[in-house]
Amino acid sequence: MKKFFLLTLAVCLVAFWGMNVNPVMAGPKTIKIGVIYPLTGGAAAAGRELKAGAELAAKIANNVMAELDMDMAKNAGIKSMGGAKIKLIFKDHQANPTLGSDLAKKLILDDKVDGMLGCYHSSVTKTVSAVCEQYGVPMINGTSTSPALTKRGFKWFWRTTPHDKWFTKDLFELLKGLTQGKVKGVKAVPEKEISNLASACEKTEWGSHVSSIIKSLAKEYGFNLRKSLLYTAKSPDLSSEVRSLKAARPDVMLFASYTSDAILLVKTLKAQKAQPKIIWGQDAGFEKPEFRSNLRDSIVGILTRTVFLPKVAQIKEVAGQVNALYKGKTGNDLGGASARAFTGVQTWVHVLEKARSTQPADIQKAANAIRIPGDQLVVPWAGIQFTPSGDELGQNVLGSGLIGQYQMVDGKLVLEIIYPFDVATADMIFPFKWF
Amino acid sequence: MDILVSSLFAGLLIGMVLAMMALGLTIIFGVMEIVNFAHGEFLMVGMYTGLLTAQATGMEPLLTLPVAAAAGFLLGIICYFGFIKFVIRGPMVAQLLGTFGLMIFLRNLALLFFGAEDRAIHQGILVGKSFDIGMGIIAPATKLAAAALSVIAFWVVWLVINRTKIGKALTATSLNAQGARYMGISTERMNALAWGIGGSTVTIAGALLVNFWSVNPFMGLLFTMIAFAIVALGGFGSVPGAFFAGLVVGVITEIPGIWDFLTYIFNFGWMADVPMTSLKYMWVYLAYFVIMIVRPRGLFGWKR
Repeated sequence: MKKFFLLTLAVCLVAFWGMNVNPVMAGPKTIKIGVIYPLTGGAAAAGRELKAGAELAAKIANNVMAELDMDMAKNAGIKSMGGAKIKLIFKDHQANPTLGSDLAKKLILDDKVDGMLGCYHSSVTKTVSAVCEQYGVPMINGTSTSPALTKRGFKWFWRTTPHDKWFTKDLFELLKGLTQGKVKGVKAVPEKEISNLASACEKTEWGSHVSSIIKSLAKEYGFNLRKSLLYTAKSPDLSSEVRSLKAARPDVMLFASYTSDAILLVKTLKAQKAQPKIIWGQDAGFEKPEFRSNLRDSIVGILTRTVFLPKVAQIKEVAGQVNALYKGKTGNDLGGASARAFTGVQTWVHVLEKARSTQPADIQKAANAIRIPGDQLVVPWAGIQFTPSGDELGQNVLGSGLIGQYQMVDGKLVLEIIYPFDVATADMIFPFKWF
Repeated sequence: MDILVSSLFAGLLIGMVLAMMALGLTIIFGVMEIVNFAHGEFLMVGMYTGLLTAQATGMEPLLTLPVAAAAGFLLGIICYFGFIKFVIRGPMVAQLLGTFGLMIFLRNLALLFFGAEDRAIHQGILVGKSFDIGMGIIAPATKLAAAALSVIAFWVVWLVINRTKIGKALTATSLNAQGARYMGISTERMNALAWGIGGSTVTIAGALLVNFWSVNPFMGLLFTMIAFAIVALGGFGSVPGAFFAGLVVGVITEIPGIWDFLTYIFNFGWMADVPMTSLKYMWVYLAYFVIMIVRPRGLFGWKR
């Protein structure tokens, strides 16, 4: 009897010890990532895209998909953590910063998430990241582009996407290129023909920052910004805004808009017979599938900055493979939002792989030291590497942007790459013609 | 000069539709002295009715007005008999909270059925067309038609209220419900009728608006606020008041254009930097505030 008791005790001890030392024996852990996106409201279309992109990345991370040329697809789960699976917990912030911070607290305190991803709207990312900073929860942001977000010295915040200053600079480089004859298919345009600008940006964190960047860059590049206005994205009518823009008689119209307002703006511009030579949108609404399906051929010639175009899939093999999976899941091609949401989750996977634990301090250390090579990514960047110190703490320094133009090819609306000049896929349509 | 004329013109056009929208609110208040917080949601229902009917039948969107009117009338009657009838027995606070609850209910019902995304009409004889009238005025055909139809509908409602027996019975009920009951008027029916007419006028406005604005389940509140401003300005319960106040509010929403005109005239740098467009609805609420203080019964109001 005594022997039996001792044996049982020994078995129990070994089992207990084993459970503590080697988590594999207890089965793989689940790593919970809170994902806060705008799933309803004006940006719901973007929210759906973001969610689908993030879900696809989590699926690839959690399963072996040998046909994909990326490290993340080689293992089922996080290999360094015994195959721990990624679980995304989605919440809907409805473009409301206050709701966003409440949801972040809920995810941290109730759901006990190991990390955070989101939130698309810079205004919401601002409040959510502040909550994460307060609780010491790591947050990776893939899609918010307000430059201010990485200027706050936050230690628990990393951003993979390039920000608006870089994107807007691309636009001014394109305008300069137009006057120098660098743009594919367009002869050098006299400076005075495109010197007058007007901008209309939605008035939350993101749009108002884009507006001020446009102001400062216009001055720097010697353009004349004749009108610069902010508007409410939820406004049902933008005709007074459009009249105001038109009255300034600009050659180039610049916009920072979310989906429904971008559609409304273009419709109103058309109804008001506005005649700018160039229309440029700062991604977001100007790149959404709804923007194309609602406005169809009337957007031929409109430019949008972006970080991903289906054309990229032709240049980059891995992007093509992921795009095929995404198209199978949603029926649409990857876009700027979905490709960056995908990259956000992918970054999480690489960081966790390097951290080998879900301890915030380990994640922090891993994120600050990470370097993901460009060939792993669907987006056309040189890679992902965050600045661990200095003015732009947590900003990926290897990202870059594209400018696309809607063109009609074989009766289908496609976005052709116009900038950077060396990867342009088509001649630019200039000037923009509506009537 | 172009911007001034075109802004004023656009303001008047949209004002006519806004007046149509506020008409229902003023009728319901006039007859029953109940403030309907769900008014904007009725408008949303009208917009969805117009949109879905046009999409399902392939009908010209402007021809869906009778369907929207019928839907609005039914909605008004159902709300009255199913809900308001019981709420009006309670104190004022119960009425306010009751219609507020109705607002949340309708909004979430729309969310359940139609989803959160914006929807808009893309096909139609007038959609996407506009006329260059001269003086810098470019009028979208849908807005012109909506304004004209609003005026016609307004006139019809005015005729019904002022020239028919039933209209007189409605007026009698709103002037003195007890007296009207003594005269053999069924005030209960009149109340229901007020809700019916109120509902149908606002859904007609909705079916007109959806020709040029997109619709989502959350858009009601903005219009409830605008309708309050119009009704307060025109006078609670006054039909002509609602019309003129609608025009005034329409022009108020175009203040940014008028400001632009002044900016170009005086050419002051600081004027261009004032973010007028981002404050455009503020002026409507400011007007509401001023009216409430200076003349609480409004321009044409007779109810206090």
